[in-house]
Amino acid sequence: MSAVSAALRQRAGGLFWFWSVGAFRRSLPVLFLAGLAAFILGPLLSLILWAFAGRWFYPALLPQEFSLKWWDVVFGNRSVVSSIKYSLMTAPTVTLLSALICLPAAYAFARFQFPGRRFLLLSFLSANSFPKIGLYISIATLFYRLHLMTTFWGVVLIQLMGTLLFMIWIPTGTFRGINRSLEEAARDVGASSARTFFQITLPIAMPGLLVAGLFAFLAAFDEAQGTLIVGSPNYITMPVMMYTLVLNYPQPVGAVFSILLTVPSLVLLLLAQRLLRQGYLAAGYTL
Amino acid sequence: MTGLALVLPPFFLLVFFILVPAAEAVLDTLRVERGGQIVYSLVRYAEMLRTISLRRSVVFTILVTLASVGVTFALAYALALYLRFSKGWVSTLLGALFIIPLFIPTVIASFAMVTFLEHHGYVATLLHTIGVEDTPSLVFNATGIVLTEVWASIPFATLVLLAGLQGIDDALIDSARDVGAGALRTFLAVVLPLNTVATVITMSLLFIGILGSFTIPYLVGGNAPQMMSVVMTNYFTNYLRPDISVALAALSFVIAALAGAAYVGGVSHRERGAV
Repeated sequence: MSAVSAALRQRAGGLFWFWSVGAFRRSLPVLFLAGLAAFILGPLLSLILWAFAGRWFYPALLPQEFSLKWWDVVFGNRSVVSSIKYSLMTAPTVTLLSALICLPAAYAFARFQFPGRRFLLLSFLSANSFPKIGLYISIATLFYRLHLMTTFWGVVLIQLMGTLLFMIWIPTGTFRGINRSLEEAARDVGASSARTFFQITLPIAMPGLLVAGLFAFLAAFDEAQGTLIVGSPNYITMPVMMYTLVLNYPQPVGAVFSILLTVPSLVLLLLAQRLLRQGYLAAGYTL
Repeated sequence: MTGLALVLPPFFLLVFFILVPAAEAVLDTLRVERGGQIVYSLVRYAEMLRTISLRRSVVFTILVTLASVGVTFALAYALALYLRFSKGWVSTLLGALFIIPLFIPTVIASFAMVTFLEHHGYVATLLHTIGVEDTPSLVFNATGIVLTEVWASIPFATLVLLAGLQGIDDALIDSARDVGAGALRTFLAVVLPLNTVATVITMSLLFIGILGSFTIPYLVGGNAPQMMSVVMTNYFTNYLRPDISVALAALSFVIAALAGAAYVGGVSHRERGAV
């Protein structure tokens, strides 16, 4: 190891001489920040410019003419407006339904011992490890048989599949992280198990459950492939509509619609930023 | 047994809407009619592996996925280290920045990347302004896919790695520094080994996610070679060969399952060690 570090020091003196320049090392984080900001925000800024561009030809840095005409085009298109409505209907429904089905299971995974517990918990990974296209072909057949094709509940069900992993794993990690002695103390002073759950466990778990709900909502809101197969032509959601706009309309139309599609999730970003950094996501993935 | 009862509803959904359809689809690719009889055979898989464009697509998919995982992992690790060990305005801004792609739907991310990277896109315009004319082709090829996958994967990777780093006791790092270890040595000898679980989770789940992604390679990828998910869709809708499409999907399951096994192995190892 000392040979390695000696070699590294030698190289630092040669090829990487600038590493020993203090100003370089101090400015490195700022350079990293600038690079990452350009990489992450650049595409989004370019999108925003396109949404307000009346005329924009290469090689101008800004559009030659700003205009709101593409916003009129988007809002004047009835199928675009209805796709917004469907997305705002399905994604919250999916999230709530997923919570109802998955949260009791997550609590059981965290608190009870039963045969096959670990295997069952792991099995939910398969919902996200099978490439969806391969599944959807046979799912379409199944949905025809169940008369779920082109129905609201069919779309809800197909989107629900993509939320199971988040709604089970993240809350399982959260519930497991809660000290049992708090629950036991409540039981000792005579609280029923339901009262203990709703007054002690649930409030403590709430931030982790919100993170799970957030991931589930985003997964449902973002889902396009399954929704396209099951929902079209009756239920076209925003991401599905976006495929049509990107492939068939002038660039600014896609840009305007992109901004509309991003608004609901950006509201969530502002609400949830603090919660996300508290480790609930990783706790769910460490099993 | 109460536990089992509570777990069964989502498990039945999983079995009924994912596992059974998957098994049915794969079984169907094995059934072949021979002399008026249905027999089980691997002929479709043999045909798939004989087709040069499909073989190239498999190799291309694995390479693009590995490259995306590698770049995302390196960037996310640097970010997580900085967020864990530095305070100040740079850290605060980085913390606000890295999470943004999580909230941008994948379709939008791909479209935004196209407007950013395309021929005469924003990057080309900026380069033209400073006098660079020969912009390399950044989109509708492997580079475009990797850049967009990295863009979209940074938040998840950083969140998991950061949580792992936050679990490392400051005292361990201080003691390494006290005995004279430099930053690099502390990282290699203390931080990296203590963060193995987060590393395994990040790498394997990134691999599975990127391998199966469709939207990004569909909108940002080129005409040939294409990623397996795009080829599957083409075989299904354009070439009317759903059997080959499902056979490719099955092959993709197998590759994803290997990453899944690595994940289970890495995470269980820790659990045995802890107990």
